[in-house]
Amino acid sequence: MIGLLEIRRRKFQFALIALIVALISYLVLMINGLGVGLNEQAGSALRNFNADAIAYSDNAGLSVIRSEVGEATIAAARRAAGVTDAAALGYVAANYRSEHGRIRSAAFIGYDPGTIGEPRATRGRSLTTADRYGLLADKGFLKASGLKVGDTVDIRVRLASTPFVIVGEIDQGAFFFQPAVYVLRATWRELKYGDIPDADQPAASIILLKGKHIIGKGPGYEAVNKDTAFANIEGVSGQQATVVSLRVFGYVIGALIIGVFFYVLTLQKVAHIGVLKAVGASSFFVFRQVLIQVVVITGFALAVAVPLAFLTEQALQTLPDTVPIAFTNRMVLTTSALLFVTAVAGALFSGRQVAGVDPIIALGQQQ
Amino acid sequence: MTATLRVNNLSKTYGGGEQAVLAVRSATFAAQPGEFLAIVGPSGSGKTTLLAMIGGLLAPTSGSVEVNGRDIARLSRGQQAEYRRALVGYVFQTNNLLPFLTARENLTVVSAIGGISSKDASRRADQLLEELGLTRRSRALATQLSGGERQRVAIGRALMNDPELVLVDEPTASLDSQRGRQVVRSLMDEVKGRGKLGIMVTHDMEMAMLADRILEMHDGHVRERMKDLAGD
Repeated sequence: MIGLLEIRRRKFQFALIALIVALISYLVLMINGLGVGLNEQAGSALRNFNADAIAYSDNAGLSVIRSEVGEATIAAARRAAGVTDAAALGYVAANYRSEHGRIRSAAFIGYDPGTIGEPRATRGRSLTTADRYGLLADKGFLKASGLKVGDTVDIRVRLASTPFVIVGEIDQGAFFFQPAVYVLRATWRELKYGDIPDADQPAASIILLKGKHIIGKGPGYEAVNKDTAFANIEGVSGQQATVVSLRVFGYVIGALIIGVFFYVLTLQKVAHIGVLKAVGASSFFVFRQVLIQVVVITGFALAVAVPLAFLTEQALQTLPDTVPIAFTNRMVLTTSALLFVTAVAGALFSGRQVAGVDPIIALGQQQ
Repeated sequence: MTATLRVNNLSKTYGGGEQAVLAVRSATFAAQPGEFLAIVGPSGSGKTTLLAMIGGLLAPTSGSVEVNGRDIARLSRGQQAEYRRALVGYVFQTNNLLPFLTARENLTVVSAIGGISSKDASRRADQLLEELGLTRRSRALATQLSGGERQRVAIGRALMNDPELVLVDEPTASLDSQRGRQVVRSLMDEVKGRGKLGIMVTHDMEMAMLADRILEMHDGHVRERMKDLAGD
């Protein structure tokens, strides 16, 4: 009651505190959003694969770049115990020239239509085996390139440049920090291996596997779950460490600032706390008022920070070169809950101060 | 139930060593329900310290303060808070109202602390504000009240929980003599009419003469002064 009345009567003071807490919350949300966004860029396509496991050649050290598997290995993986479905997938880094004339890179992925490796077209149509130089472009690719379904784009792999028609749009995400395009596996082999005789060409880079108890080594391959595969994407572990550090620092600094704010707020009220105690209030009663204020301020701050963060994300998405910030409901809820915990921890800090206030000292009554 | 007070050999020393200040020295007296006592003495004589020890705000160095046979110095902090909440109404020298609350809220906050229903608290607060002539100022913030009004609100706050022991520290300091007399008389009416025990610290002999008994303090010593000699 008193806590809420004080907020009502000292709107400006509490609004300023709420603003600071909102800015800290916004900062922490943006850092976490950056973490999610960077992860998506690193390999959201890999996470979105319709597979339970991903198999690499056994000498690739779980690197998509180094992994090359032949038809025999693909057939062996398909026949392995527990495997219910499998699809070969090829990967190579390519580049293209965007509408604005800039050279950009793209993940060039080869698949076989009708297999679990086929992405679902959200616009246009899927590839057929007749689409030798057709491709499915991820929406991230279309945004970055300024192209649309029906346009032609020159894809450069190795030294050769080949025109492709964009026949459909997909929403599979990025791969290796690049927007992805999907072509027929036969086309991928043609561009990646060129004149090398078919018999000497690898058939794919990796194999998508569906089934149960399929993790482990097989003849010529090593299968891991998607989390392990993601963690082994080149650069991801370093990036993850950076993002986790940023998050931890964000929470720690946020906790300190919010905690110190509420602590100072309590210090300012020592005389009032003394009065309340002198008329019989227990430390718990006073602390409850502080806690109510902390919950209200933090709630208000989050009510400002969360929409502000979403608006910022939307605004950034309109820019051609997007900052990789992305929010998920889970991340926002987790972050908000942690910020609440942080604020309450700060209030607990104040609780000790409240308990220590001696009514006679606060009232300056000694004579 | 009404409060019986026994103060036995009560002493309070601030600091230690050569810096030690004996604020109260072996104070001993008793008071019964329905009595209104005045404690007089010059500044620094230990009046407020004595009152604070009776009010459970300050721990004595030695001796005891027994209220209804219970030594309040031996109570835990929580029990002392309960004692202040349930038995004591304290009017502080500087009224110490909460500045962000209205006159009425400064009264009802005491009931909120005591867990009394807001309906009963509102009725009691309105009644006290009327008795103290503050009905029209009930919605004014403490900071918008005059010194006299604040003092009267502080008295209302002290009486809010219908305490058995009313302790008043210089209640007339910010009032003119006429208003001061009025306030002290209404306090005495409340105390004596309801069989409470009242103790008032004052340096104003005219106000002290209104009390049933006068205790005089000098350098921490307490002695009872006969009322017919008090005017000397």
